[in-house]
Amino acid sequence: MIAAMRVTFFVLVFVLAAALPRLCPAAQKDFDEIARDADAARTADRMQDAIHLYRQGVGLRPSWQDGWWWLGSLYYEQDRFPEAQAALARFVAMAPKPGPAYAFLGLSEYETHDYALALEHFRKWALEGSPGTNELIDVASFHWALLLTREGRFLQALFLLTAKAHRRGGSAALTDAMGLASLRMAYLPEDYPPQWREMVWLAGKATFYASLNPQQFDRAQDYEDKLLLHYDQAPNVHYFRGTQFAFQRKPAAAKEEYRQELRIFPQHAPAMMELARFALQEGQLDEAVSLARRAADLEPKNPVAHHVLGQALLAAGRVPESAGELETASQLAPDSASIRFHLATVYRKLGRTQDAEHEMAVFVALKDKEKAGILLPPEELEKLVDEQPGRAK
Amino acid sequence: MKMRTATLCLSLVALLPRLAAAATQASSAAPPACSFEQLSRAAEQARSQNHDEEAIALYQRALQLQPEWDEGLWNLSSLLYEKERYAEARDRLRLFVADQPKAGMGWALLGLCDFQTREYARALDHLRQGMTLGTGGSKGMARSVFYYAAVLLTRFEMYDQSQRLLFEMVQSGQAESFLVEPVGLAALRMPLLPEEIPSDRREMVRLAGQAALAVNDQHQDDAERLFRQITAAFPLEPGVHFLFGAFLASERPEEGIREMQRELEISPFHVPARVRLAEEYVKEGQVDQALGLAAQAVKLDPQDASAHLAWGEALVAKGDLPAALRELEAARDQAPEILKIRWALFRAYTAVGRNEDAGKEKDAIGKLAQPGSAP
Repeated sequence: MIAAMRVTFFVLVFVLAAALPRLCPAAQKDFDEIARDADAARTADRMQDAIHLYRQGVGLRPSWQDGWWWLGSLYYEQDRFPEAQAALARFVAMAPKPGPAYAFLGLSEYETHDYALALEHFRKWALEGSPGTNELIDVASFHWALLLTREGRFLQALFLLTAKAHRRGGSAALTDAMGLASLRMAYLPEDYPPQWREMVWLAGKATFYASLNPQQFDRAQDYEDKLLLHYDQAPNVHYFRGTQFAFQRKPAAAKEEYRQELRIFPQHAPAMMELARFALQEGQLDEAVSLARRAADLEPKNPVAHHVLGQALLAAGRVPESAGELETASQLAPDSASIRFHLATVYRKLGRTQDAEHEMAVFVALKDKEKAGILLPPEELEKLVDEQPGRAK
Repeated sequence: MKMRTATLCLSLVALLPRLAAAATQASSAAPPACSFEQLSRAAEQARSQNHDEEAIALYQRALQLQPEWDEGLWNLSSLLYEKERYAEARDRLRLFVADQPKAGMGWALLGLCDFQTREYARALDHLRQGMTLGTGGSKGMARSVFYYAAVLLTRFEMYDQSQRLLFEMVQSGQAESFLVEPVGLAALRMPLLPEEIPSDRREMVRLAGQAALAVNDQHQDDAERLFRQITAAFPLEPGVHFLFGAFLASERPEEGIREMQRELEISPFHVPARVRLAEEYVKEGQVDQALGLAAQAVKLDPQDASAHLAWGEALVAKGDLPAALRELEAARDQAPEILKIRWALFRAYTAVGRNEDAGKEKDAIGKLAQPGSAP
């Protein structure tokens, strides 16, 4: 996939370089000559010579932004990711608005297994509005999704992957990625145990067809049936099927699948959260609170569990307790607009006007980002069900 | 399936005379202690004496002094590959192919490393690059490259391409026992590597592979016995009835059609079953049924050349040549290397009097029919 980015990368490189201010006036003749020769070598496709010359150039003048950019781009082009990462990191550190360089840096860091840094840079890239060509958006958001899956943030990953499915259609890589996220397997495609491959593929296919626009639920169902034929007792399979029914707005069938997951795996917190959400919608507040509380106890770092619990407590009139849960949720997922909204509501009920206004302002800012096309994937399943992520951008 | 380093190294030095000359030059100089020349010579000596770990350390030191030393990069990569240090080998090979982009062996070995580090998309790209550029006459390397490319094509759901490659390997003398599982996976259209086969269906895959190989060897009785065995043991598994149906279609079409229909009950979205059924219905003159199935196949998978071909042929049978040409041209755009499509287009162009276009197809057929032109 990264190979497919090559041409785009160079187009971008040209655009970005043209936009950069030339910060380095003719200070040293040697440097100017080297910079000229480096550009000439690059434009003549003599990549090794160009790399050599850019290295010399940035050695002589470490503040040379263009030099770091070109050096990073040439290394990236040759799959020399550790060197690309180092050069792009230098560029990002000195460029006032790194834009697409964040994405390329994130991609390089993915390849060097610096996953925490990659996540950070993909997020910064998203906060800048995901600048770049459609191909860059596809590749970067795809790798971001892989890392979110690895982090256990499956719904966020699915949000990004669904958007890609809408934009670009299917591929073997997308199937793999969707399968892992759908079955809540916190692995990268290159890391998961080989014996899971068929299960991942079947779930990935089902998710893909269910996420198309228009959705092809009958085709998705065919893959789900085949999944159940062999993996009926495997973890997350019934949870996944419940999610597929939720997509189809079949709450009774969805609930039955979540319950089945809980019969097989009584500690399955995500199934509890979804059942709690249904109970909340149906006004069964005690059950909603009980299920959400158990889920939050099992997964104390899961923002969704605290969010659902906070909502259930709010609905039950237990407002101070609700505030505590929603505050925890907000700390765990600061970019979630809906958590901010609920928190503002709770603060208002508690008479904490200033806090309510603050949360509302953050909510509005996050919504504005969404409207501006900033791709910050949400944490909640209902967002994935209700929205058309492919149209976000 | 792994290559021995010695073979790789010899092949490469023969391939790259410039490197060999550089090595000679280096060895004839009088280097100071711990110079690049001294380290590179010592590394070469350690390698030739099979002191692999020592050679690796020496190559690494030499490459610190001269990072773009191609021969060193190659020899070090080969040693690292042999020691199953695939990620390290891959990183060195990336440097090597950046400097030697025409070295097919370099791409091939890089693809093999990518396979081992499970970067499958890259592995397939690099193996294909190696196949295009050639592996310097090394049969062992060529076998490895073909094998891994074939199993990856299956994993990427390119089953027909995979099967073509696997049968080419059989033709070139590769032991069939080695190919049973890859052939079985491609035949059953299961996008798995051999090591990813679920244990409860390994037998099914093996039977399918043996049956497909028996068909390829024209041992029809053996093939039928095996197909019957699979359908009896795994009657509800996707792909099984399609495979048997495809076999029976040429022997006893009515039974073949029944098996295909059974497949569609189990796998209602099975495109190849629809395509084969449409082909059979055309042969039997049931054109309307063929048209319906072929149109559904195209709708299910608009990228599938065989579906467009089947629809095109059904439209020809119906007498709707303009529509048939549209479908046949779509099939050609998807898979220009498939002779059957070119022949169908040739006949259709001829039928409508587009002689120039027919001539172009005939030229393409001539080129494709030449030995070694298959992808």
